[in-house]
Amino acid sequence: MRFQRLREDKMKNINLKKLIATISASALISTGLVVAVAAPAHAEAPVCVTSDQTNVITCDGKLSNGAAYKTMVPSDYNGTFYFWQHGVRPSYPYPTYTPPAGVEQMAPTSVNHKIDTTKSMLSLGYGLASYDCQTNGLHGWNTSDCVAMLNELVTITKARISIKKTIVYGASMAGAILSQYIEKYPSAADAVGILAGVTPSIYNELKSGCDMLYIFSVFFDPTIKGCTVMGTKGLPGHYAVLGDFAKVGALLTQWSKDYGSLPIEYPAALKPYGIPQRSALLLAGLIAGIPTKSAHMDGISTNATLIPEQSINATVAVLENTQELLGTAYFGGQGVSEIVGAGFYDNTKTDFASLLSDADLGRFNLGLSGDDAIGAMLATLAAYPRITGDPAAMAKIAELDKSKFDTTKPVVLLSNEADRLVLPGNTPLYLSKARAVYDARLAAWESKYNAASASAKPALMKSKPVWNTMAMYAMTPETYTKFTSTGAPDFTAKISPSGVGHESFTKAQLMLWVRLLASSAKLGKLPSQSVIDAMKAATPYINTDLDYQPNELKYQD
Amino acid sequence: MNAVNLRKPLILTAVASALVGSLVISSVSASAASDPGVSDSEIVLGMQLPQTGPASPGYNKVDDAARAYFDYVNSKGGVNGRNIKLVVKDDAYKAGLTISTASKLINEDKIFAFFGSVGTQTHVSIIKDINRRKIPDTFVNSGFSGFYTTPKKYPTTFGGLGTYTVEAKILGKYLKEKYADKKIGILYQSDDFGRNALAGFTTAGLKFEARKTSASFIAGTQGSIGLASQLSQLKANGVDIVIIAAVSSATAVAYATAAAIGYKPSKWAVISVGADATTFQTILGSKGVPAATSAAMLAGTISASHAPAPGDATDEYVAAFKKINDDFNKGVDKRWDNNVLQGMNIAYLATEALLGVGKDLTRAKLISYLESNGSKLSSAAFAPLGYSKSTHEGFTGFWIGEYDATTLLSPVDGKRVVYTTDSGSGAVTVSNYKRPAIAADALPKVA
Repeated sequence: MRFQRLREDKMKNINLKKLIATISASALISTGLVVAVAAPAHAEAPVCVTSDQTNVITCDGKLSNGAAYKTMVPSDYNGTFYFWQHGVRPSYPYPTYTPPAGVEQMAPTSVNHKIDTTKSMLSLGYGLASYDCQTNGLHGWNTSDCVAMLNELVTITKARISIKKTIVYGASMAGAILSQYIEKYPSAADAVGILAGVTPSIYNELKSGCDMLYIFSVFFDPTIKGCTVMGTKGLPGHYAVLGDFAKVGALLTQWSKDYGSLPIEYPAALKPYGIPQRSALLLAGLIAGIPTKSAHMDGISTNATLIPEQSINATVAVLENTQELLGTAYFGGQGVSEIVGAGFYDNTKTDFASLLSDADLGRFNLGLSGDDAIGAMLATLAAYPRITGDPAAMAKIAELDKSKFDTTKPVVLLSNEADRLVLPGNTPLYLSKARAVYDARLAAWESKYNAASASAKPALMKSKPVWNTMAMYAMTPETYTKFTSTGAPDFTAKISPSGVGHESFTKAQLMLWVRLLASSAKLGKLPSQSVIDAMKAATPYINTDLDYQPNELKYQD
Repeated sequence: MNAVNLRKPLILTAVASALVGSLVISSVSASAASDPGVSDSEIVLGMQLPQTGPASPGYNKVDDAARAYFDYVNSKGGVNGRNIKLVVKDDAYKAGLTISTASKLINEDKIFAFFGSVGTQTHVSIIKDINRRKIPDTFVNSGFSGFYTTPKKYPTTFGGLGTYTVEAKILGKYLKEKYADKKIGILYQSDDFGRNALAGFTTAGLKFEARKTSASFIAGTQGSIGLASQLSQLKANGVDIVIIAAVSSATAVAYATAAAIGYKPSKWAVISVGADATTFQTILGSKGVPAATSAAMLAGTISASHAPAPGDATDEYVAAFKKINDDFNKGVDKRWDNNVLQGMNIAYLATEALLGVGKDLTRAKLISYLESNGSKLSSAAFAPLGYSKSTHEGFTGFWIGEYDATTLLSPVDGKRVVYTTDSGSGAVTVSNYKRPAIAADALPKVA
């Protein structure tokens, strides 16, 4: 294969050290332990300071369980108050990472773009609140704790500050929290914003991560335990996961040097096929649903000299994205397993071949090394011993973060086209679940309306269900991959200006989301389509295609 | 006036026919339609194909040919007063670009329907999304049966070629009977196209032995790593008749490689989309092979076609379309060949279908019309479209021909016999379909 001509000495390798560091700093933000909320106590009165320069009043306080919170109110406060719900945080330190203590951010930020919207939001007259969802210094997949703590924050803030419109919004794991929050406290907020959010249950995506780790154990290293390593509570569990992840890290390091050109080693029966490891990596990525675009790889661009086939671009994109998805799988999985117990993952009935879509099979046939190789790999997966889960843990995870998606409040979602951590398929899943509820409501209402007398119909019109959910996507440019003079992908080049990474949006995109939430809260419903279209059209890289839909999650329970 | 001027007396007939037919230059404005891409004055169609890149030779002429026919239709007043506008996007045969250009066609160009998009590997990347959006996906230039034989899966997609399976079954039956004493082998690209054809040949009763009389290659690699190992394998196993189920660029590489390794099978048989003479010669020409030499290489090759050979000057459709091509084609390379004929023919069919739906044109009505009436549409093809509620396969029949020294595909045994079958296990039989004559004005007529 032409790709094999890539010479290691001619290539700029993926800087795995940097990537691993990224995993620590970012993907590991999906870890942590769940702890019970401490016995109820009274929240302490906040300490407030008025800035001499900006006149913004900043108050620091503690919730009843001792968790820190903060509010900021500008001098021209307009009565609209935003309550920020952060995503998952690790409980334990890692190299290059120290668990945060206290309120880490007040408003949406962007790692890729080094943006904090706090000042912008204050300048628009919005009040801001945020808190640290932790108890006794621990975080984790503590979604139910967060629901209660967010409610406490909203309640005590409303008691202290006059609020006309309340908006709850947040990122990543916040999707699972805010969905439950608005269902449990339907009148507590006027609008809900979900940024790069998980649509409950996280197990949909987690299972894909576990699948990928399982496939790694089949083809690359039989000692990889994957999701079966999870479940031990506390630091011992954390270190067990870290140890297993190190094995995957070794593979990623190797592939960053040789682009997976060495043949698959396991099982022995596959070795004669000479299938390059990158083909199995791509297969695992496609089965798990990892985006085939990444920060540097657009999935399209090729280099005529050294990288003639487009599959290679997508394969390297999967490699670049894999780092963080597996971080989610390992550390998010460990956080979840603290709640549901070990053995939540079961693949005894998984048909891996069916998880490879027709489109991917056709498009990436070359990257997967052709029919014979694909057939051999899928046959191996079909025949390989499977993982049998623990029924109790499986039952618990099936009930995790159960949501009904029946809120009537406006909900605005924003997701990246190629989010490598919380896969973009979470967003259409939210929409489809909410749509199913809405359709049922509408059908019931129509039935009632049609049966009503003429005189009763005008009154019934007031109760007609309103579709109040919308999703936006930050897209990538068509192409953006840069190559070095030797023809290798240039990982030192600027990343895509939009559409990649997790919780990484441009300031314009974030502020569009913020403004749409404010309008929705004010109106009690989404703004008109023409208004939305105009706002979106003025925001670079936001999809203007109403029917756009990213790849669906592989599991959609 | 760029009217078809086949024979002068026909002009009056043409004018009269156009006036009484559905293609009337009408002052009555069409009813406003709610679907995108349709206005009182225009219907916007979108096509994706490789205009550039290694896979583009030959196929990059389909769009200009189709546009030439639509321009001719527009010059005659359009369809129910609406001009047909064809917007084309170059996907360079890269699926990633197919995805992004499809989005542009839908959202920026606001197309009414996809039309004639080229390529199996590329189209598979967007077909699900097109169907989810309920956009008509018409006359697709791919013979992969998987796009068409399960309309419940892809309800808006309709073929613009015969399926590779149908063609392979027909060609396979002929080869099996004609060359019963010869060892027949196959070289195919390991993708939906190649597999589809392989299934057809197998259904026809040909038997291939993996890694002996059957050789495959990964589509896209023929240009970079060549086909020497595959052809050496076939040569070593004494294959007399080599079937090729691959794109034109691979066919050209295969012939050149065989010549280079001294392999001279007694016969080549090539699936039609990989056997266009002009493309074959263009590709070999780019590698320094003189035209006379490439013509000699192609001579004797067996292939099949659902339509007349482009070099068949006696065919009335060929004559009419060739004239329109001369007058209306603004493409860089308007040389008359199979690709141009195919582009014209599907444009003719699309015009016919749009006429058939009538003034109240919607996406749903076009899809419904194609399902209900598509098999009655006439064209240059010697077999009808297979459209029905149970299948959206394109042309259901092929005739078998052999290239002569002038690169003309002529019927084997001197007489064109059209065979028909399905993409399943149905028998191959002689077709009794009679192709309707083309109208004097070369415009379709709908009852």
